[in-house]
Amino acid sequence: METIAGSRCPDCGWVVAPPARICPRHPVEMTPVEISGYGLVLSYTTLTVAPEGFKPPLHIAVVELPGGARIFCHGRQTRQLKIGRRVAIEQVDGIFYFASLGIADRVSMFWKRRGAAPERTREAVKSAVKRFFSGYKNDGTTPPAENGEEKDPRPTEKR
Amino acid sequence: MRDVWIAAAAMTRFGRRSESLEDLMADAALEALREADRQPDALVVTAMAPEEFVGEGNLASHIGTYLGLSHVPGLRVETATSSGAAALYAGLALIASGFHNHVLVVGGEKMTHVSTPRVSEIISRVIDPHERSYGATMPALAGMVARAALAKGLFTEMDMARVAVKNHAHGARNPYAHFQRTVTLEEVMSSRLIADPLRLQHCCPISDGAAAVVLTSDPTGLKLAGMGQGSDYLAIRYRSSLTGFRATQDAARAAFKMAGFGPERVQVAEIHDAFAPFEILALEDTGLFPPGTATRAIQNGELTLEGRLPVNPSGGLNARGHALAATGLAQVVELVWQLTGRAVGRQVKATVGLAHSIGGMATNNWVTLVEQVA
Repeated sequence: METIAGSRCPDCGWVVAPPARICPRHPVEMTPVEISGYGLVLSYTTLTVAPEGFKPPLHIAVVELPGGARIFCHGRQTRQLKIGRRVAIEQVDGIFYFASLGIADRVSMFWKRRGAAPERTREAVKSAVKRFFSGYKNDGTTPPAENGEEKDPRPTEKR
Repeated sequence: MRDVWIAAAAMTRFGRRSESLEDLMADAALEALREADRQPDALVVTAMAPEEFVGEGNLASHIGTYLGLSHVPGLRVETATSSGAAALYAGLALIASGFHNHVLVVGGEKMTHVSTPRVSEIISRVIDPHERSYGATMPALAGMVARAALAKGLFTEMDMARVAVKNHAHGARNPYAHFQRTVTLEEVMSSRLIADPLRLQHCCPISDGAAAVVLTSDPTGLKLAGMGQGSDYLAIRYRSSLTGFRATQDAARAAFKMAGFGPERVQVAEIHDAFAPFEILALEDTGLFPPGTATRAIQNGELTLEGRLPVNPSGGLNARGHALAATGLAQVVELVWQLTGRAVGRQVKATVGLAHSIGGMATNNWVTLVEQVA
C-alpha cells in the first residue's frame, strides 16, 4: 500500500496532507507523518469545462485518509463512485489517484507526462508490479478501467 | 463609533460590456457622486484581479486619477469574490472611526474579453494550491459541495433548479441584469453539466460591470445598520463540514450583533448565489431560515417578489450576473433601490434588507444590513 506524506500538530494532534509547515488551526510548527494510502470518499465531481492546462472530462475527488487528513485526487472516472465509499490512493509522479488503474492506463498516463519515455515506462511497470504484490484487494467497488475510452486528465503542458 | 449612512448608490448594467474597466467604474462612481451631492474625502477602490484581466495595477491611484479624485486619499481592498463587500466595510470603518466623513466606494471587473478557460484559471487562483493543482475550479468545489449536500438530503436537484428559475424570473424584470429572460425547470435540468451535479444554468455568468456607493456620517435616513465578516480555511479539505459555511454563519452573527436586531426583521435579501445551491445553504447559514426549512420556502414560492421574503429581487449572481468585485456593492445598490422605492419593475415592500457575499470558496464572507429609518 502507498504511504502519503502528511504532518501532525504536536499540540492539537490534527493531521493534514500534503504536509503543512504550520498547523492551520494555530501557529505551531507541524511534524512529518506518514499516512496509509486509502480512505473514504467525501465528495467528487466531474468537470466538463476544465481550467487552462487540464483536459476535460476531469474527475476530482476529496478523500479522507485514516487519521482524518483529506486530500484531493484524480481518477479515470466517477461512475459507480459514491460518497462514503472506500478507495485506494496511488501516487504517480507525486499526483494522487483514487481507485485502481489498469496497467495500460498507467503506461499511457506515464507516457503522456513530461520526461524521458523509457524512464516513464520503467516507473509504470514498477508501480504496476508493486500494486500486484502489495496485497491490495480490489473490493469490487471499483469498476474495471476502460482502456482508451477516456483521455488522460492531467495537464498536457506545464503552466 | 459613529453611525454610517448611505448617501447614494449606483451601478452599470452587468453583462458583456465593450467599455473599459475604468469607464465602467467611472459610470457608476459619477452617477453615485451626482446623487450624493457631496464631495468624498476618501476613496475605496476594488477590483479582484485587474492585473490579470486588464493589466492594470496601483488601482486606487489609477482610478482616483481617472475620476479626477487624485487629491483624495485612496486605498484598494481585495477579498476575492467578496471584494465589493470588503470595500464597503473599509468605507464603513473610515467613517465610523471618525477618520473621514464622506467616502466613495467603487468596485468593478472587466473580464468578458478574456477566454473562458483563462478566466476560469485566473479565478481559480483564489483556491488552495493543493486543491487547485488538481484542476479544482470554483464550479468544481461548488459541485463537490452540492453533491455532499444532495447526499445528505439537504435539498434535491429540483430545488437547485427552482432557485435558478426564480432568480432568472427576477432578472427578467431588472434592466441592469446580465440575463433578462426567464428559464423553465426543464431548461435548467437539461442544461449541460459543468461540474456534476451542477449544470450551466445553476452557475452565474462571467460578467463585466461596476457599482458604487457613497457613505457619509450625515444621517440620510438610509442606515448601514450592520456589517460582519466571517472567515474560514482557504482549503475546503480542512473544514469539518462541506455543506455549510462557517464564514457566512460568523458574518451574519457579527452583522446582526452590530445592528442590534435579528433575522426576523429582514424583509428582502440579496444572496451570493454564484451557484444555485449556495442560495439554499446561505438562507440557513445567515439565520434567515431555521435549518432544514429553506427548501420548503423555495418550493412554496416564499422567496419570489410576491413572497414572504423576496430573495435576490435583482436576479442574484445567477441572472443579474457576477462582475466579481462589483457584485458585493451591486447587492447593496439593489437593497438601496428596494428600500427607497426605486426598483422599477421588481419593487418589493421592505425597510430592512440583507446582503450576503462570498469571497473565494467561502473563505472571506460578508453580511450587510441596510435599514430605512423613518
